[in-house]
Amino acid sequence: MSTRMESPSTVVEGTVSPGPSAGVADSAGSSAIFEIRNLSVYYGSFHAVAETSLNIFQNEITALIGPSGCGKSTVLRCLNRMNDLIDGARVEGRVSYHGIDLYGSAVDPVEVRRRIGMVFQKPNPFPKSIYENIVFGPRVAGWKGNFDDLVEESLVRAALWDEVKDKLENSAFDLSGGQQQRLCIARAIATSPDVVLMDEPCSALDPIATYRIETLMRELKEQYTIVVVTHNMQQAARVSDRTAFFSVDVGEKGQRTGRLVEYDLTDRVFTAPAMKETEDYITGRFG
Amino acid sequence: MSDQRPDFHAALNSLEETTLSMADKVEGMVAMAIRALVDPDKTLVTRVIADDDVVDEIYMDIRSRWMNIMARQQPMGRDLRMMAAILEMNNTLERMGDQSVNIARIAGLTAGLPRDEIIQAKLQEMGDLLKPMIRTAIDAFVRRDADECRLLPAMDVPVDVLNRSMWKHVVACGHDPQLLEWATRMILVSRALERVGDQAVDIGEQVAFLMTGDHQEFLRLHDYGSD
Repeated sequence: MSTRMESPSTVVEGTVSPGPSAGVADSAGSSAIFEIRNLSVYYGSFHAVAETSLNIFQNEITALIGPSGCGKSTVLRCLNRMNDLIDGARVEGRVSYHGIDLYGSAVDPVEVRRRIGMVFQKPNPFPKSIYENIVFGPRVAGWKGNFDDLVEESLVRAALWDEVKDKLENSAFDLSGGQQQRLCIARAIATSPDVVLMDEPCSALDPIATYRIETLMRELKEQYTIVVVTHNMQQAARVSDRTAFFSVDVGEKGQRTGRLVEYDLTDRVFTAPAMKETEDYITGRFG
Repeated sequence: MSDQRPDFHAALNSLEETTLSMADKVEGMVAMAIRALVDPDKTLVTRVIADDDVVDEIYMDIRSRWMNIMARQQPMGRDLRMMAAILEMNNTLERMGDQSVNIARIAGLTAGLPRDEIIQAKLQEMGDLLKPMIRTAIDAFVRRDADECRLLPAMDVPVDVLNRSMWKHVVACGHDPQLLEWATRMILVSRALERVGDQAVDIGEQVAFLMTGDHQEFLRLHDYGSD
């Protein structure tokens, strides 16, 4: 069974992506799928995130952590241009995806969001059946293929198939919170993205559902690159390969600007971080 | 900067203080065991054995509290490294206490036997070398001094050299069966003292890990190319 949509090729009309090999590699040989350089984000005159540079590597889970207001969700939303949907949002710097400037004038934001899917904090299934939740996006995108196979494959990948295969026509709202979140993950991967962004995907779930999602994330990273924002440091430590710690600077007038403090292998960040600011945060000595 | 986890850090500080009290107790035990080798007063032997019971209780107490903190608090960063260092030091100090008991018991068993002055002097010298090593290891931990703990391997070299030279003097005691019995038991004492030196270096390695986050084994005697 193969219901994958066409392999990731381009987010720019008429342009062929140079592919993953175009990205830089780290010392372990991992390829960078995103190269973020001097990224600053503004909402009107509010400077939300100051100059941030980091690479996000293919088939890894990258966790963005930090206190409230540090800009981690803002940075996440820059990776699939979700900030475009916010009035007054402005992005400076460069976000390259497979070597292509995501904010280039020829780039189609809709295509970007198909390649780079997103799962939100609160499960948000459509008010439709489980089946329709999966096929909705591909159908709107004009995908031609076997929808039954697509539904099965997506739900299998999201570790939900065995629980819902006999009730695909039931409303998605009949599912538990954890199942709804896995349905949202299935919906995200039904469009064959190569990146899945997760914005606090477990914060509304109980511990068992959380562990289920974390296990699923580790399985999914074999095929997808995952970037996750989480308030839960233990979750970042459990699931991620690399961790970026953001902090927040408070200006004279109380304005808060997020700033990347440290980005390293998760093993390192949570045992022996290089920066004192990171150490203070993960050990609870801050504020 | 304020502490967002005061209860956890109080529990961690308390665990460190208990570890230090254990280290002080073990330091005293080693000193008493060495003195017992030359002091005919058997109360030293009794005291070392009694102190080891206390050390064993502290050891179990630290293990219990350690597990509790890990399960409840999930420490990270330097707190996690401190927890790792405390667990290792707890094991190491308990073994140092056991070595002190071994030495004291042998001292008690051999109290009535004839002695060889050269061997006795060398054991005394090993003891004199060990005392500052143990103090250095404890001080480095208290002061979080990664440089000070790196002095330990070099301090351990003469202890190892003395231990390795011991057998020649024991062989020289072969003419007298009672002296040979004493000397043979002193081989075990020498070996125990040599292990105490290694264990002091082990504590130094834990201090280095605590401060740097890197697991590193310090150079040992064989790395220096000595016999």
